[in-house]
Amino acid sequence: MVWLEEEMKELIKFGLILGIICLVATLVLAVTYEVTKPKIEAQSKRGENAALKEIMPDAASFNEKEIGGIKYFEALKGKTIIGYCVTVVGEGYGGYMHLIVGIDQVGVIKGVRVLDHQETPGLGSQISEVKPGEKDPGFLRQFIGKSARTVEVGKNIDTITGATISSKAVTSAVNKTVNEFLAKMKR
Amino acid sequence: MDISAYILILISTIFINNFILARFLGLCSFIGVSKNTVPAVSMGLAVTFVTTMASIITWLIYYLVLAPYHLEYLRTLSFILVIASFVQFAEIVIQKKFPGLYKIFGIYLALITANCAVFGVAVLNTDTFFLNGVAVAGSFIKSVLQGLGAGLGFTLAMLLMSGIRERLEYAEVPRSLKDVPITFIIASLMSMAFLGFSGFKI
Amino acid sequence: MKTLGEFIKGLWRENPTFRLVLGLCPTLAVSTSVVNGIGMGIAATFVLVGSSIFVSLTRGIVPEKVRIPCFIVIIATFVTIIDLLMKAYAPVLSRSLGMFVPLIVVNCIVLGRAEAFSSKEPLARSILDALGMGIGFTWALVLISAIREVLGNGTFLGKILTANFEPPLFMILAPGALLTIGLLIGIMNYFVMKSKARVK
Repeated sequence: MVWLEEEMKELIKFGLILGIICLVATLVLAVTYEVTKPKIEAQSKRGENAALKEIMPDAASFNEKEIGGIKYFEALKGKTIIGYCVTVVGEGYGGYMHLIVGIDQVGVIKGVRVLDHQETPGLGSQISEVKPGEKDPGFLRQFIGKSARTVEVGKNIDTITGATISSKAVTSAVNKTVNEFLAKMKR
Repeated sequence: MDISAYILILISTIFINNFILARFLGLCSFIGVSKNTVPAVSMGLAVTFVTTMASIITWLIYYLVLAPYHLEYLRTLSFILVIASFVQFAEIVIQKKFPGLYKIFGIYLALITANCAVFGVAVLNTDTFFLNGVAVAGSFIKSVLQGLGAGLGFTLAMLLMSGIRERLEYAEVPRSLKDVPITFIIASLMSMAFLGFSGFKI
Repeated sequence: MKTLGEFIKGLWRENPTFRLVLGLCPTLAVSTSVVNGIGMGIAATFVLVGSSIFVSLTRGIVPEKVRIPCFIVIIATFVTIIDLLMKAYAPVLSRSLGMFVPLIVVNCIVLGRAEAFSSKEPLARSILDALGMGIGFTWALVLISAIREVLGNGTFLGKILTANFEPPLFMILAPGALLTIGLLIGIMNYFVMKSKARVK
């Protein structure tokens, strides 16, 4: 039975050493996480704020709210609400995409921005690409002035060549979520 | 229970986003073991076994421990340790209980710990099937299917490549392109062919 | 100086990408633009050097049988650190590199050097080796990314080179990467063979 005890002792020793290293590692990581957490959250807020300002340049401030699971921002000029910025999650070709749609009180689109996406570089990624010399993404510009209730690929939105699915994903996500949002707001 | 979504995941992972030819995960083994068909397919089966099991285990860890307690930053550490332990454990069990199986793919198991495909699919599962820390509908089945598809796609690519390389033995390859470079060039052509699957959506 | 040689070998003679053919997965996936290439190179070098320090320091303490899991824990820790740092201070880069930052943990270069070198060599040598490999990996990445970005996107470091060039998307997509690295390794093989023949 001696050799069995030897093996057990070895196993316990190995387990302990590995355990200690894991513990140290976890502590180091927990510290790093806490240190970087505020910065990481601030970064995502920055992307959001930049998009909000681009969509609704007239708004002086934004009020973050939530209704029925949809996060949105009230766009305020002084005390009056001049529109809403609704966050939209779409299912693209490569994965989820996060968008923000700016609308007025009746659902006419003021602007769309893509916060992040996982589309194919060079093809689907054109949904958020800005051509040189222009200020905003060409694909998203065609949404401005149209009613979010009725945007549809083929009817009033043109797809990007070679990126049909990505284009459709953006359009249907905008359509669906804004319709949901407006319905919830009415109640 | 949208069956078409699940079928789509399998088809997508095996053909459209083939782990080797489109995602570049698992290349080291691909270049190293694809010279002859029998070892290539054996490796493929071993990888499929590990990717599927790893998908199950890592999904459970993420769902039960990491996400609820906001420990997502421990994902890399926990996943790789779990995968390494599982591979060790599986090798011992298979060697003892299923010697026939061990003969087929046992020796490749140890190599698989560092295989990008295994860790890659585990990370991919939590990236695509969890939204803001919450599992999406059918997340578990989708993850397992993606893991299975990853391995099957890997095996498919290995099978195709080994078939070509066996024939290549009789061709006159320029000296500087022998072995590794020509394999990459062939892989490039295969990858181009697989691009033909893209855009497929149900 | 033999010590300096430990650093230099990673740059050319034992270049991890072109000669040792290691760490291919991120190399091909990430090299769609030079910025990505540099970013990944720096991240990988950070992990290489950091883990080599600790692997070398725990040389006597960690028993043979558990060494691989211990190396993995050390490497995974550094990978997570650089991942968090990048998310906080370089979010755009972090998003482009995506899941390939966590994937550094299974990068054959990192585990390979820990196993083959840092676990057996003293601290200074290990750091030099890791640095050399890291920088060698980085310049290989930059070379591949430069070719793919210029030919496939018409830009370099994000700046458009000429307005009249419609780039072949092929180079940015998967097949272009495989073709580029195949040809590059072939070219390097050719030169190595030539210099060997000349020595004879």
